[in-house]
Amino acid sequence: MASTSKAISNSAHQQGQTCIAFSRDGKIAYTGGLDTLVRIWHTDQGEDQEPEAAYEADEGITAVAAAEGCWLSGGHDSDVRKYIPGKAQFNGLVMSAAGASIRCLAVDPSGKRVAVASDELSVKIVDLDEITNVVVLEGGHRKRIRKTTWHPSGTILTTSSSDGTIVAWNISDTGAKVENVIDGVIPEVVDPESPEFMHDCSAVWHPSGQYFFAASRTHEIVAISRSTWTKTSSLSDPNTVGVTTALALSANGVYLASACNQEILVWSVQTKRVLWKHPGTPNAFTIQIAFSPTENLLAWTDTEGVLSRWRDAIPAESPDPVRQTAASSAQGTTTKRKPTPPLWGEEPEADAEGGDPYGDDWIIDDLGDGMKDEPEGAKEMRSGDGFVKEMVSITKAQPAFQPGSTPMENKKRYLAYNMVGVIEVTDQDTHHIVNVEFHDRSTRKGYHFTDHFKYDLGSLGERGALFACPPELDHPAQIIYKPYGTWSTQGDWTYALPKGQRVLGIAAGGERPMRSLRDPSSSGGDIQGQGNIVIATSSGDLTFLSGSGMERIVLGVEGEYVTMASAEEYVLVVHRPGATTIDGSQSLVATLISFEDFQVLQEKPLPIPKGHTLRWIGTTDEGAPAIYDSAGYIHLMIHHRRPNRAAWVRLMDTNLLERKQGKDESYWPVGLSQDTFMCLILKGRQEYPGFPRPLIQELPVRLPFRNQDPVDSPIEERIARERIHVNLARDALGDELTSPDIDKREVELDKQLIKLIQVACKTDKAPRVIELVKRLHFPNSIAAASQLAGFYRLIGLQEKIEAIKLWREQNATPAEEAREARQGFAYDDAPLARPKPFQNFNPPPKVDRPGLTRSAGIVEQTEFTASSVAIRAGRSLAPQASASRSTSPEGKRKRDDNDDDLSSNTFDVEVKRRAVGESDAAVPSPKPSTCIAIQPGRAYILIIYCRQPIFSEDWARSQEKSFCKKTRAQQTYPEERELF
Amino acid sequence: MALPQSLRTSVTPLELELIASEQLVEIVPLITMEKTAFISGAYGPLRPPAKCRIPLWMATNLKLKKKCHIVPPEWLSVDFLQERLTRETSRPEFSKLPFRFAEIAKVILDVASDDVQNADKIKSLLKDLREARQAKSRDGLQKLDHSELSLPNLCSMEINEIRPFFIQSMGILTQLVREPSAE
Repeated sequence: MASTSKAISNSAHQQGQTCIAFSRDGKIAYTGGLDTLVRIWHTDQGEDQEPEAAYEADEGITAVAAAEGCWLSGGHDSDVRKYIPGKAQFNGLVMSAAGASIRCLAVDPSGKRVAVASDELSVKIVDLDEITNVVVLEGGHRKRIRKTTWHPSGTILTTSSSDGTIVAWNISDTGAKVENVIDGVIPEVVDPESPEFMHDCSAVWHPSGQYFFAASRTHEIVAISRSTWTKTSSLSDPNTVGVTTALALSANGVYLASACNQEILVWSVQTKRVLWKHPGTPNAFTIQIAFSPTENLLAWTDTEGVLSRWRDAIPAESPDPVRQTAASSAQGTTTKRKPTPPLWGEEPEADAEGGDPYGDDWIIDDLGDGMKDEPEGAKEMRSGDGFVKEMVSITKAQPAFQPGSTPMENKKRYLAYNMVGVIEVTDQDTHHIVNVEFHDRSTRKGYHFTDHFKYDLGSLGERGALFACPPELDHPAQIIYKPYGTWSTQGDWTYALPKGQRVLGIAAGGERPMRSLRDPSSSGGDIQGQGNIVIATSSGDLTFLSGSGMERIVLGVEGEYVTMASAEEYVLVVHRPGATTIDGSQSLVATLISFEDFQVLQEKPLPIPKGHTLRWIGTTDEGAPAIYDSAGYIHLMIHHRRPNRAAWVRLMDTNLLERKQGKDESYWPVGLSQDTFMCLILKGRQEYPGFPRPLIQELPVRLPFRNQDPVDSPIEERIARERIHVNLARDALGDELTSPDIDKREVELDKQLIKLIQVACKTDKAPRVIELVKRLHFPNSIAAASQLAGFYRLIGLQEKIEAIKLWREQNATPAEEAREARQGFAYDDAPLARPKPFQNFNPPPKVDRPGLTRSAGIVEQTEFTASSVAIRAGRSLAPQASASRSTSPEGKRKRDDNDDDLSSNTFDVEVKRRAVGESDAAVPSPKPSTCIAIQPGRAYILIIYCRQPIFSEDWARSQEKSFCKKTRAQQTYPEERELF
Repeated sequence: MALPQSLRTSVTPLELELIASEQLVEIVPLITMEKTAFISGAYGPLRPPAKCRIPLWMATNLKLKKKCHIVPPEWLSVDFLQERLTRETSRPEFSKLPFRFAEIAKVILDVASDDVQNADKIKSLLKDLREARQAKSRDGLQKLDHSELSLPNLCSMEINEIRPFFIQSMGILTQLVREPSAE
């Protein structure tokens, strides 16, 4: 990312506020500082030049500007001075602000007028040719004005005040009036001595004039539309977090330069991504950046008083920052009309302003797209990063995030904040301090460590803490897993990704410990395993690892990964299968993947309203997936254990909360339990919780029901909510019907229902009573309902309730019905599991023909029939075997054998020898009554005692099969064979 | 109140504190504990980070073992007390406060001052409140007659303070009033 070309640095001024401006031809840069000097730098000279200086000012210079035929400076001595271009030759005073410091000078696009912002509450526009010609803009500000900028047309002036407002003035020949006041974008900085006051808060207009950029108080760079004066998009980079101290646009509006965290970032305005970075002066922040109007040169000054010039800031292979390419003009460089804008096309008013939308410009644009002879720069832009995609999708795609993490603010951030605990990170410049703390200190012990890899992702699972770091110069991206419960770091392991890959998200899951993980006993902690780990990488896969670091599987992600969270037995992955839609939907899909066998349990699009983003995902106490979006809704996935039957329940609408009424606050979710939503409450426009760690607040979960009946509605809501949870609990039980806990909850539910029945009886709503009675769980409750009806003398109703009771007693209970329904689902789903025709290689199903079974033959057990040795042997064994089987099959076996041996008579021994010697020959069937002797190599002798006709082939096959089974059994259990 | 030793025969503040220890307070537990039966009732289960309501004595005990954070009650905040103090000083009647606020506040500030925001400010506010209310109860005692003394919203600690004096003087007043009617 960092550019190869290095910047030239010159120490120009003393420490403190500095300013910079390029001359209109770009050959000279003027810098001013607290040392009262303005230095004049020739941009074509190197580091060793000796710049000329203007000494006229009495106090520090705060602003310099170049106009047509002169350049200007202003400072704390409240004078604005005019100089001969390129020289330090004083050419007269322009104006004096009567004791107030000059804060900003802005020369209009024609170079003839200058707008002067000072500590006075008015802005003066002075005609440079006739300095007595002054327009005073008054009445727009209540606090001192910090910055002022011109719209490229010269008809709008934007002024940024220290009270956090931006005022747009409409400047015409007849006068000036306030066109709009934009509040809440730029930060409010009251103290002019504070370092924040030096930060750039100006509205930087794009050369097209359709929008401007400003550094917002939420540390983003926002684009504000000229037509609606509202925020249309924002630029933020997940790797750079912090306040933006300076902003500048390149001459053609293709690039935006910003200063943040002692770094200079160059963004592409089109893709809104950081393209290149350059380190700034250490321990200083950059106050002003300027693009040269004619060259590929970026210059900035900082609080150390250093002027840095970055020549060739834009590499040669990228579009030029000055030249008007088709790509840049596609965004419109003229202020008269708007061409079909690819990025800002959602502004229909802009087109209207431009007059005829089907003018000749439209044709030109069409040609540019249709014919392939566009300039080179444009081609590169098109093939470059994400250009084509951004052409189509206007909605900004939500970047990947880790639930429960915050950006670095004041050198501190949270990597994870969930129901298990908190990971806090403190930046110590060279390294981080990671502090892991748990809510439940009896189960796990908190710890902290020094982190030299600067982990930027963290996940706290039930079984261990997982960290991931981005690749840096000397090491690749890697993750480290620290299982709990081990006192030393022996259990820790790392897993490195190949070079060039990054970790996008991590999740550590595992079973909730039944006992303390600090308990050293064998049943205490690690016998249940160390959990499961999932890593999402930039190569578009999900890697599953076991808790001990064994790689299990790598799954592909069908689209762009967004976030994931882990539960006990599954991981909830959110991804974007395609692009965002034009009308503002993020089109995200949640997938539940089982840890056990990587089955996809559910795949469901997220119910996020258009124009909103996903803020948090997680699981409830019971293990059901839940999400929270920027619209303030909490959704819970019910029936997530039933394949393809999940639904998103809107569990809560935080906008309806009582405590929220009349207050500006938002909620930052931590967890969700049955009746409470655990969150941190953020005041005002705060987006993330800060330090010290705020207390977790518990808000009651309320389904967003709309009936407002004071008696019924709360009970109805409670019943509906409880039913959701009872059903979830029952789903978790599997085939069991109920548990004591569920019974108890159902009794409570019945009590609530009875209350509703009473209200309905009172108001004589018979249909309602019947409906409610049907919902009761226990016969006793129905009896109670019947008594209630009797009490209110609703005899007809009482009879109906009795009928329901009778019917209920005869039929299955609701719990049984639920089980049957569940089994029914399995039956419904069975065709899905069945293999396709012609792809089934399983043996054909066994056909059961009761009519064709072998009949039990008539056995004549007289000594005269016992002619065959085999039969004799079998007969001698039969009563013994059956006797032993009937008493105790296993325990007695051994003794029988012994007895057999002891009492073995001669022919038994003989038989035994025979059996061993002839191996497979003359094996009696265990049922001697069938009287079959099968001898291999000979024809089968089939003795059939049966009068029914027999399909002999079938029968013979079955005999053969049973024979083979027997012989196999004998081979495996030789001692059993000895019996024979 | 500065009373002679003979008049101070009343429940001591320590005993009142003991009585107040049965009041329920919210805590954020740092340990897991099943629902447990005590003589005064069953409390729990403790499931961090969920809050739980337990008696003050138990909260104190856990806090001293660093096994919980006590969530100060709503009224134990600078805003609330400040508002009550201005009302107390601007109006003649006693402002409404929890009956045992003095005891509970003392216990919480003693054992868990790190869980209370602006503990020092709250301490000084409580002291101011006490002084303002004490002045009022002194004034109120002047209205004492033989049959009643109506001081609504007086809290337990304050009642306890005036109790010995008030009982004795009321006894005497009753005697004084009854004599003439008897004759």
